[in-house]
Amino acid sequence: MAENKSDLTFESVKIGDPLGPSEFHLSKDQVRAYARTTGMWVPRFTDDEAARKEGLPGMITPGNMSLAILSKLVTDWIGASGAQLTRMGTTYRQPVLPDHAITLQGFVTDKNESNHTAEMDIWLENEDGERLVIGTATVHFPR
Amino acid sequence: MSTTLDLHSHSEASEDSRAPLEAYLNWLKLRSTERPVDGIVLTEHRQFNQNADYRALEDKFGMLVLKASEVETDYGHVLVFGVTEEMTRRFDFANVRLPAQEVIDEIARMGGAAIPCHPGRPNVGLCEHYTKKPPLENVIAVEVLNGGSRKGEDERSEALVQQYGYRAIGGSDSHLVSLIGLCATRFDAEIRTTEDLVRELRGGAYEPVDFRPRRKPVPQAIAVEVK
Repeated sequence: MAENKSDLTFESVKIGDPLGPSEFHLSKDQVRAYARTTGMWVPRFTDDEAARKEGLPGMITPGNMSLAILSKLVTDWIGASGAQLTRMGTTYRQPVLPDHAITLQGFVTDKNESNHTAEMDIWLENEDGERLVIGTATVHFPR
Repeated sequence: MSTTLDLHSHSEASEDSRAPLEAYLNWLKLRSTERPVDGIVLTEHRQFNQNADYRALEDKFGMLVLKASEVETDYGHVLVFGVTEEMTRRFDFANVRLPAQEVIDEIARMGGAAIPCHPGRPNVGLCEHYTKKPPLENVIAVEVLNGGSRKGEDERSEALVQQYGYRAIGGSDSHLVSLIGLCATRFDAEIRTTEDLVRELRGGAYEPVDFRPRRKPVPQAIAVEVK
């Protein structure tokens, strides 16, 4: 496993290397700030009561914000290595509720010598270990 | 000699998975201490590829790869083991409202085994349907351990088993490479073929096994509000 982000190279990356885990608290105000900034100021992302009227358990995190949070897991892993996140695909299994602890995690699952890329699984889970958003990403390393 | 198989997995042939079979097998080889399985069963959604041949990968990794299918019925999702051409002619596997009782009875008559999966899951599991409709007959087993279960789902499945006397299997329901083999089924007998698997599911001795890591408690988070 590459010990230092600046040391991360295609050759140093091994199948099984972890990304994270990274834990943090996602606050309602952070979600509101994202909704305001991205022009998504709709009740389900900003107000518990209004979200409940839509049948949701409370205000939820926009899918794009979950995607952005997960992309940071990958870009933090890439660091200053010069590698690039070239693809991400995600599946939303359950709403991500703010005001909870979130854990981001992933693993390198494959390497492609000809493309100089690494494939990785990534996911976002809650305090109960439920994987709310799962996905895969591809990172390209410079030759 | 016993055999441990992950009975529920999805490769990139399923529309919601990007996991190549070779990467699954490589991952299991890497994690053989934590997830000691002898092979996997590919249960692609609503389809069955009669012609797929995985013998080269089986030889490369020394693992068993068998084929089955996960179909959708009016009682939720069902794993079909021992799929034959007769079965795919009898049922349109792409139909998301297959009649569950017919699937269970007809698959058994044609030599296979149909086993409801993740029964504790809302909407697509047996438990919720049993609150609205009569229980199915001739169910031989249900999937009690599912690697994708949310909080409480496996417990609901276990309660179902206790109530109806079903037998229990386990599978990862993996859609990602790194989640393969988290749950599996340990058979007393040696299994080398699909015929062996169906025979054991119908009359052999087996139990679900859980290889999910015990979760460390997450420290109490401190909310920092953005002003």
